[in-house]
Amino acid sequence: MLTIKNLHASVEGTPILKGINLDIQPGEVHAVMGPNGSGKSTLAQVLVGHEAFEVTDGEILFDGHNLLDLEVEERALAGLFLAFQYPVEIPGVSNLQFLREAVNNLRKHRGQNELDAPSFMKLAKEKAKQVDLNTDFLKRGVNEGFSGGEKKRNEIMQMLLMEPRLGILDETDSGLDIDALKTIAGGVNTLRDDNRSFLVVTHYQRLLNHIVPDVVHVLAGGQIIKSGDKQLAMELEEHGYGWLGINEAEAAG
Amino acid sequence: MTLAHKTPATPLDTAFTPQGGKQLPAPLKSLRDIRSNAITGMALPNRRTENWKYSSRYLKLDPELAPLTQATGDADYRSVEGIYRLVIRNGVVDLDHSELPTASGVDIRRFADLDDVTAQSVAKKLDTTLDHGTTQLAALNTARLEDGLLIRLGADISVDKPVYVQYVTDAGASGSNYPRLMVEAGQGSKMTLVEEFISNGEQPVLVDSVSELLLDDSANITYIRLCMDPVNVRQVGATGVKVGANARLDSHCIGFGGDLRRHDLQVRLEGQGGYTRLNGIALTQDRQHYDNHTAIDHVVPNCDSDENYRCLAADRSHAVFNGRIHIHPDAQQSHADMNNKNLLLSTNAEIDTKPELEIYADDVTCAHGATVGQLDESSLFYLTSRGIDRDTAATMLSMAFVHELVGQVPLEDIREAVNTRLTDFIEASFRRAAE
Repeated sequence: MLTIKNLHASVEGTPILKGINLDIQPGEVHAVMGPNGSGKSTLAQVLVGHEAFEVTDGEILFDGHNLLDLEVEERALAGLFLAFQYPVEIPGVSNLQFLREAVNNLRKHRGQNELDAPSFMKLAKEKAKQVDLNTDFLKRGVNEGFSGGEKKRNEIMQMLLMEPRLGILDETDSGLDIDALKTIAGGVNTLRDDNRSFLVVTHYQRLLNHIVPDVVHVLAGGQIIKSGDKQLAMELEEHGYGWLGINEAEAAG
Repeated sequence: MTLAHKTPATPLDTAFTPQGGKQLPAPLKSLRDIRSNAITGMALPNRRTENWKYSSRYLKLDPELAPLTQATGDADYRSVEGIYRLVIRNGVVDLDHSELPTASGVDIRRFADLDDVTAQSVAKKLDTTLDHGTTQLAALNTARLEDGLLIRLGADISVDKPVYVQYVTDAGASGSNYPRLMVEAGQGSKMTLVEEFISNGEQPVLVDSVSELLLDDSANITYIRLCMDPVNVRQVGATGVKVGANARLDSHCIGFGGDLRRHDLQVRLEGQGGYTRLNGIALTQDRQHYDNHTAIDHVVPNCDSDENYRCLAADRSHAVFNGRIHIHPDAQQSHADMNNKNLLLSTNAEIDTKPELEIYADDVTCAHGATVGQLDESSLFYLTSRGIDRDTAATMLSMAFVHELVGQVPLEDIREAVNTRLTDFIEASFRRAAE
């Protein structure tokens, strides 16, 4: 589904990703772990097309598309979804209006009929309930005044609505208590099937107790230095990144 | 600066001050003649004129604009449900197409129909709400009076439906018109007044309108001004308001740019406990212009004012905001809050904003803020990452910028119509930018 070959990317001339290779098959959940500054979030942002990052080498194939040729919105329509680490607040755009625009756009693209306001409301309420988000949040501005946890729930609710081919979670667990973590993991797990894949970017292993990965990668210094099964995450949790010879302070370098 | 570099003053072409006003009652005719004599050949504002500094280059009063616009065929009056309609076509009240309230205590008459006593009283009150030094073209309106509309509300009269004044301009041929409105709201009276400018035809025309509102004690007027005509209609409008004790004016002015768009809104808080809220939205695109000049005078103690204007300028357009708050020496315990936020949708657009505070009392609170910004890239990225194309995302964010102000317009029909027209306008702008 997703094949990343020798991906190099920099921000303002500083190389961050230095040759990433990754292959995700349909139905698989891959976790990318690594110390702060290792390039985890950069990888997530490059995949969805954030223009602050310049891809200097390599290629990304997504369902046969050359991903780097697609605009941000085209990537979303192709089935890519990023649950942001820091979702922005957009006062004045109602969550509901935004979600309906996004979902109907996607449905149109997929050859499905667009949902009218009542049908969409029904669907949105259902998805909000799945992540324990009060339906009042649908009427508020996008993420406006949401707590950190509410923003993360809102991200996962969007993912449930958009049903992507590949869901990317960028440190979705950060700042969440254990109950919220379980709820969010539950939401993600309902989407898991043989045709849908996930790339879970996280600093800590605890999310992976609830979203159990097929493959775990360790990213350091802009490269994947080790890959393994879920055991790898547990060993990292136990021994820290130093166990792999990574000096956290230098990891960014 | 030497004299040689100064812009020479351009006089108002004498074609703009012809004889006329034959239908007016004597006191109003006399006022018209006095103004006409006074402004014959007057120097037009130029860029050295402080209050026209940014806009004088759009003020082109060519002689072909001087004749009065003439009605040709039926005008396309936009139908609106649940209102009283008053039509002023080419500056002349058209009672045949108006639907007037019939309740007693509501007195609506055209200037031409006024008896001498009433005309005398109106003549005394005309031109008393505006600062003549800063509304040069309001004098031209009086000098060109042919008719006008008088609305008088008796004490404690509450008009049950919004009063919708439609100013219709026939722009099939070049010309100008000078609509005039006078509202006297009696003690404790209440009304929602909507002014909408509409036009048909594509020739350059000038609409020089003046509306004056006198709010007696405890009167409550909501004033909505919609100025969304096509670009060929050059607009110079002035609204002057006097607010009595415990009276309240809520104003919502919404406009699209044009070849010339200027609105002066001057509110005087003259009775203790008076309150005014002035909201405004101006959108410009292509090479359009829009200039909002507001002035709030806190004349007496214990009055509050809240002002919130927002401008969006796209392409190579030019928006201007000038907000003056004047706290007079006696006006202790005044609270004034002015806010002007601007959004530049293109690097070639220009926005000039100038808050002016003159405070002569020491026990007051006065806050003001003015910002000019661009669409937030991280918000655009967020929306596009959900599959929304960039133009749609930019339109959503632009609408979000004015959302709060549109939301405060109290009439749902108008709110919806305004939302639709604003969205269309903004979409057109992004389409143009993409071409």
